[in-house]
Amino acid sequence: MTTELVPPRATGANSLKERLAIQDRRIAETGVFEPELRLKGADPVAFEVLFTKIHQAVINAREVALLISASPATREQGEIIFGLFTPEGDSIALSSGLMIHVHTMSRAIKWMIANDYETAVGINQGDYFFNNDSFIGGGHPSDQMLITPYYVDGEIAGWIGGLTHVVETGAAEPGAMGSSFTSRFVEGLILPCLKVGINDQLTRDAEILVERSVRTAVPWLTDNRAKLTGIKLIRDAMEQLIGEIGADRYHQLSREYIEDTLRASREKVRRFLHPGRYRDVAWRGVSLTGQESLMQAPCELVVTREGRIILDYDGVPSARRQPFQGTLPLFEGMLFNALIQNVFYDLRYNDGTFLAVELHVPEGTACNPTDIFLPTTLWGPAYAGLQALGSCVARAYFANGYLEEAHASGPLTSGNLVGGFDQYGRPVGGQCFEFASSGMYATAFMDGLDSAFSDFNAEGDMGDAEVWEQGMPQVWLAREIRKDGGGFGRYRGGNGIHSLYMAPEGARIEMGSFGSPPIFSTTGIMGGYPAPPLRTYIGRGSNLRSLIESGADLPNGEGLDPAEPAFVKAISADWELVLGQNYPVRELEPGSLFSVVTGDGGGFGDPIEREPLHVARDVANALTSAETAERIYGVRLGPDGSVDAAATKELRSAMRRRRLERGVPAREYKATARERVLAKDFPKPVQAMYRDVIRISRKFATEFRSFWNLPADYEV
Amino acid sequence: MANYADDMITDLLDRKLPLDQVYTLQSDKDLGRRDQVLALWQRRLGWTEPVLAVIQEHLFVVETASGERVTRCDCGAEFGDYRANWKEEALVYERNPRDGEIYVGSHAADPDWQILREFYCPGCATLLDVEPVPVGYPFIHSFIPEL
Repeated sequence: MTTELVPPRATGANSLKERLAIQDRRIAETGVFEPELRLKGADPVAFEVLFTKIHQAVINAREVALLISASPATREQGEIIFGLFTPEGDSIALSSGLMIHVHTMSRAIKWMIANDYETAVGINQGDYFFNNDSFIGGGHPSDQMLITPYYVDGEIAGWIGGLTHVVETGAAEPGAMGSSFTSRFVEGLILPCLKVGINDQLTRDAEILVERSVRTAVPWLTDNRAKLTGIKLIRDAMEQLIGEIGADRYHQLSREYIEDTLRASREKVRRFLHPGRYRDVAWRGVSLTGQESLMQAPCELVVTREGRIILDYDGVPSARRQPFQGTLPLFEGMLFNALIQNVFYDLRYNDGTFLAVELHVPEGTACNPTDIFLPTTLWGPAYAGLQALGSCVARAYFANGYLEEAHASGPLTSGNLVGGFDQYGRPVGGQCFEFASSGMYATAFMDGLDSAFSDFNAEGDMGDAEVWEQGMPQVWLAREIRKDGGGFGRYRGGNGIHSLYMAPEGARIEMGSFGSPPIFSTTGIMGGYPAPPLRTYIGRGSNLRSLIESGADLPNGEGLDPAEPAFVKAISADWELVLGQNYPVRELEPGSLFSVVTGDGGGFGDPIEREPLHVARDVANALTSAETAERIYGVRLGPDGSVDAAATKELRSAMRRRRLERGVPAREYKATARERVLAKDFPKPVQAMYRDVIRISRKFATEFRSFWNLPADYEV
Repeated sequence: MANYADDMITDLLDRKLPLDQVYTLQSDKDLGRRDQVLALWQRRLGWTEPVLAVIQEHLFVVETASGERVTRCDCGAEFGDYRANWKEEALVYERNPRDGEIYVGSHAADPDWQILREFYCPGCATLLDVEPVPVGYPFIHSFIPEL
């Protein structure tokens, strides 16, 4: 059958559903979004100028909306993005901000079209649809989008959407991201593409629904107003633009922008990434009692000579009744976030990027669950898949000599949740987004930045503690850069932050945290070590009040001994350590202490190749200790902090000799390790993963059996 | 498209390039870096056999006189056919993360979840990779270049 290479709008199809079906078929058959860049060819300067106007409109919307929201996550952390879409739901331009949603709003628009919203619900100018169902679009119930169609001369010209991360959804635990969730029914209020606005007004009944369903409705409702404002600004700009250039030219332009990005994406891959097959694995897990299981996110990246990218995640464990998994729309968003930040950062970012990648994610897995009643709160391997892809891309750059683009894994960004009643008796619920200031990955040429990075939002920062305290009744006693947080390496990963909170008098506060099991979630690369696990300390029954009343200095830092942080030694309390940081929300009496850390970056290269002066600098800045300098980096410092070059040389030689002494030839190692594999002598979390993955993934099972030379029917 | 002098790229390989110049490389990309870097490594390594690819820090693919394409460390140690995982020819040390040598206290993962597998070059003892993996996990084969 010959595919019609005319735009869906020109096919004479009456409904968006028919147009979308025509487009999907054409892309599947040809790999082409728009056959000709006619307008670009005719006037490339005008092509760029007009895109700048469109891009300016979505950027402007974000900057204005930031000032309208009352949610610190939006206002302080910038957890917001706007996008402009074609009538069929493909993104043309996006603002900066929450880049993981480059495609998730497209997903929601296409879902409405495919599910007959034109006839069953009605799509009209001035309608606003709200979605936080992550199986439709977005990442979890916190990711909330507002979408509107817009029309010119009675014909749909496209869609506009805004998305924010909202810090309270009325879930079983406050703050929306509890680590104990086992079903969708405890994730809070979920509205699947519900019409919440008509005639450019948000409906009062929809707001009442929110007010009576969540602990505090302010973030949700003010974010909606911020998004509505931004959307209207974009719509005004588009109506003006279409008035100037005409609807036909606008439609053609918008399709060419996507096709142009698709072609540019392939060209960039062809030029800058070494062709080959890359593999890496990043890790998450389930720490729920009775469900303990490690989870792998195995990424296989194939780069072809022609510039194609093929991604395969066969081997991800099964989706289950636990919160560490993400939907396919979320996973797509994470992957494209990685590609946009690492490869396509200087292109127009829109759905052309999405079309440039071939993605395989088995159904029913924790990166593509099909049961819509499963929770998708904390993403698990759907987040780890982004990290593994980043490492693969780093190797592809490194092989081509572009060391300035190569880096280790970014951090696992996690933090704390707060609920209860504040000192005024008002119900509160929220999560603190200071984890947007985690430690950056080490690169091939410099250390990762300390407390200045998150993979999911390149513009995020930690926000003012005082602003957070207005909405969440936790009082900061400390916020400091973590020592020895980043993975060790020739270049070390950036350190995240440690925060110490106090439950204040006069409030009834409950607090929890989320993260991972006690594992290395952030890997190093090419000899660099992974970043340490996250951790939470809970201190009940503290002597803080007497310390304060006595006027004593409040020891609030971690110090240089992670085995026992300084604040734990100095403050008398019934301390509890939760390694990995998953602590379901529980009430804390006033004066109790709660400490979390944000993630740290992975290390790059062999630590004993680290420039000794860099080690000395870190010791001088209290970012590492003299003990670490010697033990990890083989650097001996003199009493004045200067490098003892002769002793350092000898230390490093001794470390190399030690490696040769204890290193075992791989064949011998495998022969020994195989016996344990044959005996199925695995700890419970490992056994659970192997049992599952060998059953559901033929690819992993084949490789596992082949590597260990196991019988063809080997299972765990 | 930019074009950068050998001296500048040599400084990048030696990690001596000032950050402001690294930013220049990031913001104004040059084509043909692969060939330039391979030529530079050919001179730096002093090998008569052609260097075909850079695998990672310290590891290269070279074509031997007999026509075999093998992975080789810059110290000269060889790891076999470039399509096979070089880790099969490395020295391996399985580390309990709680041995106190690298990670201290809560900075160590639980060995019931993950151990650390360190891969050393048998020639120069360089630490080439660290895998945080569960017990019994196959070696991760990070890269097979298409030559």
